[in-house]
Amino acid sequence: MEVIRHLFWLLVFPGFLFTVILGLYACWIVRKVTALIHHRIGPPALQPLYDVLKLLGKETLIPEAANKAVFIWAPVVGFASVLLLAILLWAVDFIPARDNGMFLGDVIVAIYLMVIPSLALILGSSASGSPHAAIGTAREMKLVMSYELVLVMAFIVVLIKTATFHGISDSQNDAQLLSLSSIAQYTPALSISGLLAFLAALLCVQAKLGFTPFDIPEAETEIAGGVLIEYSGALLALWKLAQAVMLVAFPLFLVILFMGGIGTGFGSVLLGLGKYVLVLVLLILIKNTNPRMRIDQTVKFFWFYCGPVMAVAIVLAMLGNYYDKWWL
Amino acid sequence: MNWKIWSLKKSPWVFHVNTGACNNCDIEVVNCLTPKFDVERFGVTLVGSPRHADALLVTGVVTAQAAPRLIQAYQQASKPCVVFAIGACACGTGIFRTGYHVVGPVDKIIKEVDPNAIIAFVPGCPPKPEAMISGIVKMLNAL
Amino acid sequence: MSPDELFEKLNTIKSSLTLFDQPLDNRIYLHCESENCFEINKFLFQEVGARFVIATAIDCEQYFEILYHYSYDQTGCVINLKCFIRDHENPQVESITPLIPGAEWIEREMHDLEGIDFNNHPCLERLILSDDWPEGEYPLRKDWTHEKEI
Repeated sequence: MEVIRHLFWLLVFPGFLFTVILGLYACWIVRKVTALIHHRIGPPALQPLYDVLKLLGKETLIPEAANKAVFIWAPVVGFASVLLLAILLWAVDFIPARDNGMFLGDVIVAIYLMVIPSLALILGSSASGSPHAAIGTAREMKLVMSYELVLVMAFIVVLIKTATFHGISDSQNDAQLLSLSSIAQYTPALSISGLLAFLAALLCVQAKLGFTPFDIPEAETEIAGGVLIEYSGALLALWKLAQAVMLVAFPLFLVILFMGGIGTGFGSVLLGLGKYVLVLVLLILIKNTNPRMRIDQTVKFFWFYCGPVMAVAIVLAMLGNYYDKWWL
Repeated sequence: MNWKIWSLKKSPWVFHVNTGACNNCDIEVVNCLTPKFDVERFGVTLVGSPRHADALLVTGVVTAQAAPRLIQAYQQASKPCVVFAIGACACGTGIFRTGYHVVGPVDKIIKEVDPNAIIAFVPGCPPKPEAMISGIVKMLNAL
Repeated sequence: MSPDELFEKLNTIKSSLTLFDQPLDNRIYLHCESENCFEINKFLFQEVGARFVIATAIDCEQYFEILYHYSYDQTGCVINLKCFIRDHENPQVESITPLIPGAEWIEREMHDLEGIDFNNHPCLERLILSDDWPEGEYPLRKDWTHEKEI
């Protein structure tokens, strides 16, 4: 019985089926809002589903110069890790509390899982055996190295804020602070340091999703498709599905960290979905109003602008923790 | 009709190959993606790699230097993939029939490599975007 | 330099030219033979300081012409140098690529399509025509017809 329940969570709700359907719908929202900003109509609602179905029906070509095992397993690993991250995030609200006592993963596991899709992209494109993919690989590696530190610093701000709100004066286990359900209870975005951290984390998520201005690795016009140039057919469908699920998991991560999560009960679920849509719309607006940046400009931006701002935010958060002011 | 052809009709991704054109047809191809004509309604997007493509939009009379590259691009596209010959030069070499470096229109080159290739012709110099959209729709209906 | 100074300066090499004409304020035409071609190009590029724009070649059935275009940006004057190659069977002229590196591909194109040999050119390979085009067929010559094509 337990097995059937767990399989249900993994495969239907809130697992594979639910997340993939929500992800494809989020993909459509991105394309539709982009089209409306451009003053045109845009694709029909089921278009991302048609794209994935069509890709599954094409032949999958594997280049001779490619390393076959890594080439095939990289998209599988990327998709699996981001799906696991999504289930982890949904588990905060949609898996009952008595089963939540088992260790489903805390925020550190979430941060690790967030890195794996980028790593899988790097591995897959470097296994492609094409010079364009090699350029894409180099750019993706530099991109990951530039925004990961900023993301971790934003997470540290959230952690300090959670400790402030939680009040660790009573003898609580410190590890309790790291669990997603306790982080999801508070809204750090309403304080100064939290707002700075939210904006920096938003830009990092923009880079993770591969949206302009940070879509350097998959620059279509420059390097003919970059990292995904040699993928076709079913493997490309897996990458597209991974991108769709990333569109669910990463904004949800931001909502849980900064905006107080989704919560149980009908009203708060609606409010939570509203917060998710707000983050999604912010990502789309940044995507549509910016040109693509060069890789050296991006590295300089994340290390020399976002990094010091995050350091200031951490200092402000520590001051707020010491003097017990929630708005710092 | 099986689900592969049905889903291909719903989401044709195009890749643009210029085999020696004067760029007039290329400009008109890109015009189709602008808000005035908006082929994204049909699910058409411009992809960066021939491996992702369902339709090759070939412009230009095929020169001797471009012929092996066109054949490579066609072979790298994962099947099923259709070919659109856009413009008078691609349909039948147009005014460059007696040119010194011309090895023939697009269908002659493609059929050397794949006699069963599906090729659609959109004549014009350059063809209007409406003509190109009509060509795409007719091809999708005939698949 | 003002236009008058330019005119005076070009007068100094008048001995190497066969024609020196300024029909308008901003057009200067110079004609020369293939032996003096490099020297006049060097004068225009280094002494006058004009900017090399493009070079084109044409087959005139008894001789070849190479037209060099220079632009004198300070006054907007365009200086055209027309170099006549009288030997139609075996046309050759001194290459200006050691002087102006940007002329390398321009001279490769002229060699590929017209068959003009450029001495001291660093790398005179095919540029426009495909690699399996036969040697000795120069499509832009007046006596080449398309029925001869392979």
